[in-house]
Amino acid sequence: MNNATVNGQPRIVVSGAGKRYGALQVFQGVDFEVGERDVLTIIGPSGCGKTTLLRCIDGLIPLTEGGITMDGEPITAPREGVAMVFQHFGLFPWKTVFQNVAYGLKLAGASRAEIDEKVPGFINLVGLSGFEDYYPYQISGGMQQRCGVARALAVEPRVLLMDEPFGAVDAQTREILQFEMLRIWEARPTTMVFVTHAIDEAVLMGDRVMVLKGRPSSVHEVIEVDLPRPRDRSTLLHPRFAELREHVWSTLMKEAKEAEFKV
Amino acid sequence: MIKLINSDARWIRWLTFAASILLGAAIWEFAGRNANPVFMAPLIGDADTPGAARSLIGFIGDGQFRDAFLSSIKLFATGFLLALVIAVPLGIVLARLVLLRVALESYILMLYVTPMVALIPFVLSILGFGFWPKVLVVVLFAFFPILYNTLEGARSVKHELLEVAGSFRASEWSIWRDILIPYTLPFALTGIRQATGRALVGMIAAEFFLSTSGLGEVIMIASRTPDMANMLAAILLIAGLGVILMRGAQALEQKYSAWRGVDG
Repeated sequence: MNNATVNGQPRIVVSGAGKRYGALQVFQGVDFEVGERDVLTIIGPSGCGKTTLLRCIDGLIPLTEGGITMDGEPITAPREGVAMVFQHFGLFPWKTVFQNVAYGLKLAGASRAEIDEKVPGFINLVGLSGFEDYYPYQISGGMQQRCGVARALAVEPRVLLMDEPFGAVDAQTREILQFEMLRIWEARPTTMVFVTHAIDEAVLMGDRVMVLKGRPSSVHEVIEVDLPRPRDRSTLLHPRFAELREHVWSTLMKEAKEAEFKV
Repeated sequence: MIKLINSDARWIRWLTFAASILLGAAIWEFAGRNANPVFMAPLIGDADTPGAARSLIGFIGDGQFRDAFLSSIKLFATGFLLALVIAVPLGIVLARLVLLRVALESYILMLYVTPMVALIPFVLSILGFGFWPKVLVVVLFAFFPILYNTLEGARSVKHELLEVAGSFRASEWSIWRDILIPYTLPFALTGIRQATGRALVGMIAAEFFLSTSGLGEVIMIASRTPDMANMLAAILLIAGLGVILMRGAQALEQKYSAWRGVDG
């Protein structure tokens, strides 16, 4: 790896990507790049295929057209160094918080000692210290997703894929988790692709916001988010935040209206 | 009144339970003392009409009975464990291999609902009278409830969890270890609980219809003598065995489904 700069070389390159399920073309001709320390947020109306696209980047499902490379290599299956946080949390109900966080490490062949050494740090990072021995059904949705984030971080991924991670928690918890995630990212910056349907979240988290639109959908616009980092609650009061938010809103709502009236 | 009947106070429940057992015993005793001894024996009885309880106590010192009991237990345990170790893995495999499942599903359902007693003459004519044909009968009785419940459980595994496993690059073995087995266990145990009762039926049926042996033989001999006290004592023993096994399986089921939490 030569010439690594702060913005970084493109880590993920998506070119001409398309996905079709039978007669349904979900997205088509999607091109974008994500740098090493880039956070790209993907936003679009329901059914635009943003989550599907993320699964293609993870290698969980194949594209039907085009290709995706990571560090120059084409993606055919889930890769080491890539971790995903799921909207549905995807915690194992028969495992404790500790065991859930240790899951990825265990699969990667970490020893017992290594797991015991590393896991508490990640549990602490997401603020779950003291809940190591709880089962998922014993903790709140927000805490469950903290556990999901810790599980993904524990494998120390170079790429973090976030699939509407805070879409299933209540509004207040969601805000708390957003700021927590910003703090965590500052502590360990990685390449991040963050799928969301919340405009505030897209602008707050991203270096760029990519809007998917149309049927089949494609990249409608990529909006540079020139807000300073580190970001926190005060970012919401930044005049530029309001402008960007408005920009994304008008792009998206125009599309939403069209979609609503087009049967 | 309704409130009292539905009371969940512990002592009221115990009292009701005890009263019900006592009443049942009293009815048995009354019927036993007043019926023809060829058809019925009392529970306790007296010097002239010995009861089932005395027979039960008599069994303890009876070497011949002990042999019969152990032979039955051996038959039950062999058949039940065989059914268990084949049916549980097979159920999970069938859930993972869709086409194999589609191919076999209708047979499994058919055999699940077939009264296995009907197959006994068949087993007899093909395999004869030894120990293993009898084991096969027990296996047939126990196998399908376990297989059916395991399969239904394993195929309802949450797709999301398999997706997580895929994302973390899990091997097939680790998918079994971390997801399929823990997820399926409570379902398999439901089948295992049903199978304990069925295997007992299989045990007695095999002992009746193939070469007579074990507790089945005890019952047969007692009914021919006729020694109703001995016969009822043997039946009582089998019933007690069934209750213990069922309760054991139920406890395991509860233990391994704790993760389902409140909505489990």
